[in-house]
Amino acid sequence: MLRAWKLLLIASSILPAATLAAAPPLRVNGSTTINPVVVEASEILRKEHGLVIQVDTQGGSSGGMAALGEGRAEMAMVSRPLIDEDRAHYPKARFEATRIGLDGVALVVSRDVWQGGIRTLTKAQLRGLYEGKVKNWKEIGGPDRRVVFFNKEAGRGTWEVFARWLYGDPKAAPLVNLPEVGSNEEGRSKVTATPGSISQLSAAWADGQHIFAVGIQDGGRTVSPTPAAILDGSYPLTRPLMLVTNGSPQGAAKLLVDLLLSPRGQALVRKNGYEPVTGTAGGRAK
Amino acid sequence: MREGRHRRLELTRVASLGFTAFAALAFLGMLVLFTVESLPVWRQAGLGYLFGKRWFFRVHEFGILPMVYGTLAVSAVALLVAAPLGVGTAFFTVEVLPRRARLAVKTAVELLAGIPSVIYGLLGVLLLRDFVVRLLAHWDPLSGDTLMTGGLLLAVMILPTVMTLADDALSGVSAAQRTAARALGLTRAETALRVAARQAFPGLASAVLLGLGRALGETIAVFLVIGRQDNQWPKRLLSMEPLASAGQTLTTKLGGSETFISYGDPLHWGAVMGLALVLFAVVGVVSVAGARLALREGGGA
Repeated sequence: MLRAWKLLLIASSILPAATLAAAPPLRVNGSTTINPVVVEASEILRKEHGLVIQVDTQGGSSGGMAALGEGRAEMAMVSRPLIDEDRAHYPKARFEATRIGLDGVALVVSRDVWQGGIRTLTKAQLRGLYEGKVKNWKEIGGPDRRVVFFNKEAGRGTWEVFARWLYGDPKAAPLVNLPEVGSNEEGRSKVTATPGSISQLSAAWADGQHIFAVGIQDGGRTVSPTPAAILDGSYPLTRPLMLVTNGSPQGAAKLLVDLLLSPRGQALVRKNGYEPVTGTAGGRAK
Repeated sequence: MREGRHRRLELTRVASLGFTAFAALAFLGMLVLFTVESLPVWRQAGLGYLFGKRWFFRVHEFGILPMVYGTLAVSAVALLVAAPLGVGTAFFTVEVLPRRARLAVKTAVELLAGIPSVIYGLLGVLLLRDFVVRLLAHWDPLSGDTLMTGGLLLAVMILPTVMTLADDALSGVSAAQRTAARALGLTRAETALRVAARQAFPGLASAVLLGLGRALGETIAVFLVIGRQDNQWPKRLLSMEPLASAGQTLTTKLGGSETFISYGDPLHWGAVMGLALVLFAVVGVVSVAGARLALREGGGA
């Protein structure tokens, strides 16, 4: 009796480990912007190659880099350029990034703000909004409505691109207390539901019906995050969508990267509202 | 046959001892882990970590008082709503409903406790945010994400726990007591309120405290409706205003992105682990208090 118990205990502790060793899943973590593209690609690879790919979005781009650096993931989805901090935190890792698409960070406002006349914003106005100096939209020519700034939380690629553009360096951004949003889904739902609100959001997620991407007025020019402006880089908050591995992609990771760089994968990128990387513009970048 | 039973008993004892030891070790292990990992922040900030009102991780300022306030505020709202409602429902099911109906109600309520908290959170986003904006219109909240929203959502979530434990406590009062009370001429209401309630008081209190324990530890549902705004230390502690603003609790901070990005930075990671330690301590105190009250009831105080 006791022996049978022991056997059962030993077997139950070994079996899961053995099955895991047989087919280790590819663990992908990071940006919610890239997430839908990678999820669809993973589905294709599961059907065609029987690959198991776990896609997670804990902590956004920097969360993905941390997971990759710590060995809790084999691939990070990163929707901002790689920064020195990534390398400084994990000096032993050899991060290799593959660009699979382009996206813009849009400044989105709720319907009442858009209809109240806010169609473009200048850098100075954005700083005022972000730092809480502009408390009512009427101060900058909008409707008489208090400003609610939903800030993308720390570590999100969207926030880092925004802060780098507005303040030169995320570290130079002033310390603010704002209500925070995490994933793109959350940002979209909160801006849609809250009158007088503004937030940073992936341009592809601004539908122009419930939430609206304002144009950026910079040096006398006004640029909206249109596909053309993102592709040719004239929209200032353009960012790469990247898959990052430790060392060059191997095995399942390579299959995933290759699929996303193929015409079929690039079609997925476009289908989700992002700009494809064409010809030599895409591919590997250190 | 006797031999077999003896053996089985032995096995049960060994197994339960093993599992108890495992639970105790896991508890101790977590305590040690949180303490050791949070050492850097205690060294840097000292008690300022507990009483500081500013949290800016980019400049390594870590003060958790606003989050402690947030945790206590949402839990207080939850308790103020759920305790009377839960205990009141228990009085109704035990003292008024026939046995069959009581069990049906109890089962239904217990099913509510099994719903994953993320579902409650999404329901909160869908139904509660607009309601709270209208409810607190007088204080003019900026959005539907407020401490009040979190508290009301928690109230719904801990209601099943409070109700079902209070029901157990009340139905545990012996029939002899009730019969004696009725024989002495007390009405049904008097029997319920003067005799059963007094007998079951430790059980009722522990039901409320265990509900509080659940409220303190709940993360994801609150996360979705509280707004996650740092450093919201209220200007006036005893006013409605802070409840009508966004805030942050110990758990919503732990559920946010900082937990994932703080790894490479020992001080930041220490500050996050410190949150876990403080939460652990608060939940521990409440749970022990709840369990002690329940024990007192068992001992027939």
